Amino acid sequence: MNEWIRRLQYLLHRRRFDQELRNDLEFHREMAAKDGGKPLGNMLLLREEARDAWGWTWMEQLSQDLRYAARQLRRSPGFTLAAIVMLALGIGVNVAAFGFFNLMVLRPLAVRSPDTLLRFKRRAPQSYASQIPYPEMTFFRQYSKTLSAVLAVMDAKLAIEGEPKPLTGDFVTANFFSELGAKPMLGRVLDAAEDGAADSTPVVVLSEGFWQRHFGADPGIAGKTIRLNDRPAVVIGVASQAFSGLSMDNPDLWLPIDQQPYFVTGSHLFTDFSVEAHGITMFGRLQTGLRAGTAENELRSLAAVLHQQHPADIWEKESLPSSAGGYAKNLGGGRHGTGTEQSDEGYPLMALVASLTLLILAVACGNLGSLLLARGVAREREMAIRKAVGAGSGRLIRQLFTESVLLALHGAIAGLALGYVVLRGMMVMAKTPAWLNPVPDWRMVLFAIGIGFAAAIMFGLTPALQVARQRHGATRMRQVLIGAQIAASCVLVIVSALLVRALEHAVTTNPGFEYQQVVSIDPGLAAHGYSASGARTYLNTLQSRLHDLPGVESVSMTSSTPLGNRKVVTGADIAGRSLDVHMYAIDPEFFGTMKIPLLEGRNLTRSDTRAVVISKSFAQQWPERDPLGRPFQMGDASYTIVGIAGSARLVALQDPDAVEAYYLAGDADLPSMVVLLRTAGPPEGLVPFVASVAKSIDPKVFPDVQLVKSSFSRRMEGAEYAAISVSVLGFVALLLACLGIVGLVAYSVSHRTKEIGIRMALGASSAQVLSVVVRQLALPILAGSLAGVTGAAALSQLLRRELYGISYLDPIAYLGAIGVFVAMIGVAALLPARRALRVDPLRSLRYE
Amino acid sequence: MPKTEMPSGALVLLILRVLRSGTLHGYAIAQRIHTLSSEVLQVEEGALYPALQKILLKGWVTSEWGISETNRKVRFYRLTPAGRKQLENELSDYERAHSAIRSVLRTA
Repeated sequence: MNEWIRRLQYLLHRRRFDQELRNDLEFHREMAAKDGGKPLGNMLLLREEARDAWGWTWMEQLSQDLRYAARQLRRSPGFTLAAIVMLALGIGVNVAAFGFFNLMVLRPLAVRSPDTLLRFKRRAPQSYASQIPYPEMTFFRQYSKTLSAVLAVMDAKLAIEGEPKPLTGDFVTANFFSELGAKPMLGRVLDAAEDGAADSTPVVVLSEGFWQRHFGADPGIAGKTIRLNDRPAVVIGVASQAFSGLSMDNPDLWLPIDQQPYFVTGSHLFTDFSVEAHGITMFGRLQTGLRAGTAENELRSLAAVLHQQHPADIWEKESLPSSAGGYAKNLGGGRHGTGTEQSDEGYPLMALVASLTLLILAVACGNLGSLLLARGVAREREMAIRKAVGAGSGRLIRQLFTESVLLALHGAIAGLALGYVVLRGMMVMAKTPAWLNPVPDWRMVLFAIGIGFAAAIMFGLTPALQVARQRHGATRMRQVLIGAQIAASCVLVIVSALLVRALEHAVTTNPGFEYQQVVSIDPGLAAHGYSASGARTYLNTLQSRLHDLPGVESVSMTSSTPLGNRKVVTGADIAGRSLDVHMYAIDPEFFGTMKIPLLEGRNLTRSDTRAVVISKSFAQQWPERDPLGRPFQMGDASYTIVGIAGSARLVALQDPDAVEAYYLAGDADLPSMVVLLRTAGPPEGLVPFVASVAKSIDPKVFPDVQLVKSSFSRRMEGAEYAAISVSVLGFVALLLACLGIVGLVAYSVSHRTKEIGIRMALGASSAQVLSVVVRQLALPILAGSLAGVTGAAALSQLLRRELYGISYLDPIAYLGAIGVFVAMIGVAALLPARRALRVDPLRSLRYE
Repeated sequence: MPKTEMPSGALVLLILRVLRSGTLHGYAIAQRIHTLSSEVLQVEEGALYPALQKILLKGWVTSEWGISETNRKVRFYRLTPAGRKQLENELSDYERAHSAIRSVLRTA
């Protein structure tokens, strides 16, 4: 330890220590001369050797190298600028991708002690649910000793006068704001003491965005009364935009969950234990010093107690697995079902994005490597001189590599800025919540620097070795680099072609059903506590009134809105393969309304309580080709397959593995049904009539009327966005690779002018002359494209579920991409090669 | 008499040993080793000063300004308690190795 302190002193006072050392040596020389000994050697060298013992030589050399490198880079600003721009591109896209990953996965939410916040889901051997029935949550809240607080969030749609679309509101427990440490930006936020009871004054907290949008940022809003779902509520304050809350869907307002039945008339939220009911998302604050496992154990034993009281609704062997509630990635997810929960679909996509952005970096590095090699040839004289005056090749490599590191550092800074701009732009386009802040934090800075160093090694080390050793294999090395660039850009171009193809396919082909003229009406009866018979009356009235509207062709109902957010998935084992079956409770008119063809067997009838129609994609999974008449187990009940309908991925548009099964809506399904209607003409004009008809049946219900085709274009926006961004990446990569090829060909034309001259003098044809300079590209292009196609095929498997049913080996996409690719590369190679044809044989020979 | 190069590793031991009897400047250390070894061991400056820097860094000696016999300001090196301990350790290590080698040479 002391040794390090002394060592540091040497660094801090190195001038003084060096002076002392010099005095020692001078004295030694004087004495030696006096005694007639031999004279001392090189004083400077001796001092350097002695100073070596202090252990700071590397730093002195580093600062020398850095100063020298900076001088070198300043001397060729064109090269430096090109290199930094290229690196900024390569690093920038990676920083943007990492930045998003950072926001979602690494960076905790801006709430108080995010690390002790847990989110709970329900799991049993055969079932899972991401939401928890409200009364189960209160049971845990009452008896848990491991959780110091329990928070519940429940999203809801609320109507307000003056807004055509329903608002998103989060009903939250009254401790929500205080537990998360949120301060109001105006007025006050919910308070456990004042707002934590069903009979306290109905209140609402506005989000900053909604306050500005709807109330024009009225500074006197606190204390005013507004009407939500036609019920008066007092605005108590506005929460700041920086407050993340505990959901990703950017709510317009927050309301106390204890007053939920006041706003949603007829709600059975407080007493309904069933899985089908709209549950809540449950969060818990861990007691200090405890581990998540302790809380899970406690909740499991509490659930076992509750199971005794509610054997039908609380599952046997129910457990409550937790995830870190203070991180954005764990806020989403709303799946329910039987079987095991599917593993996270986000990670393969993240892996894909990371691979694509790293490929861009690889192309940029390959290009820069080529540039450095070319520069190295021009610096041969400098290297020779430096070697002659005694620089070892290790020292030269270090010097050259320092230049690369300096470049990479500048590239990393520029890349960080570019990445921030790109990320910010993407987040604005994707309308992410305002509290997701893309401003770089220390992780992003560290990442940018780290990836800069990795890049420096990728593009700088080999050229440094080559140049310092005065090897003339530079052309070979450049061929390898070109090959790598071609491979990487080939992957990017093919993946972007696949995405473009998938988008085109999705827009132009029928997804198995017709959505252009369909309107959905979701009355949300379950939330209002409708019973099965009440719901039946309501739905029948609604359907018959809609039928009477002019221009309505057919009316039907379903449990999941086509292209909506509600997914009901059941795991089924067919011939040893486990499948995700999307379940729909429907009525017999459904297939007609959605124009889904019935291929075999028969439609459901109004009395088919144990029959099921499956999709063709599902039928194909059966070992026997014809599953008609076979039993299909669903939960505890067995159904008979009576018909096969065309495949229609109604909710999972992009997933080729999705299979469907349809059964007749039973009493239990009625409160959650959605009514669909097909219009004869364009549906837009009908929407207001439909809305007023729906509203007229029960004034306390606020139906959500949507055009299915708007949901479709909303979904396409995402695909379009992905296709555009990957295409831009692919194009940039291809452009970089082409620049590399242009450079290599141009270099060899100027390098081999004499050879070309001789060949021309001997009567070589233009094709032969061209082949002299282009031949060297054949191998890298061939090997690179081959590697690229293989890589693309391997990578795009990750995309399989996002391609709207086209194969990840789609020949059109591959051939199209390769066509564009070959054309671009051909131009890049031949453009500079034409200069070879203009060589004047006489002149080039006389040139010597 | 031919001058013999210093065996590596032994230099530190010798420097510490000659400093045990008092403070010395660099040149005197070299001279002392030279004379005490009956002019067999020659300490090169190229070895002496790096070794001294290392010993200083380890904290085995400290340096202080003094006046040389030629009336010049020069650094004198003094053994520290830590250096004294190091010397004893190295000496006993050396003795052990030396007697082991000797016994092998005698009997083999």
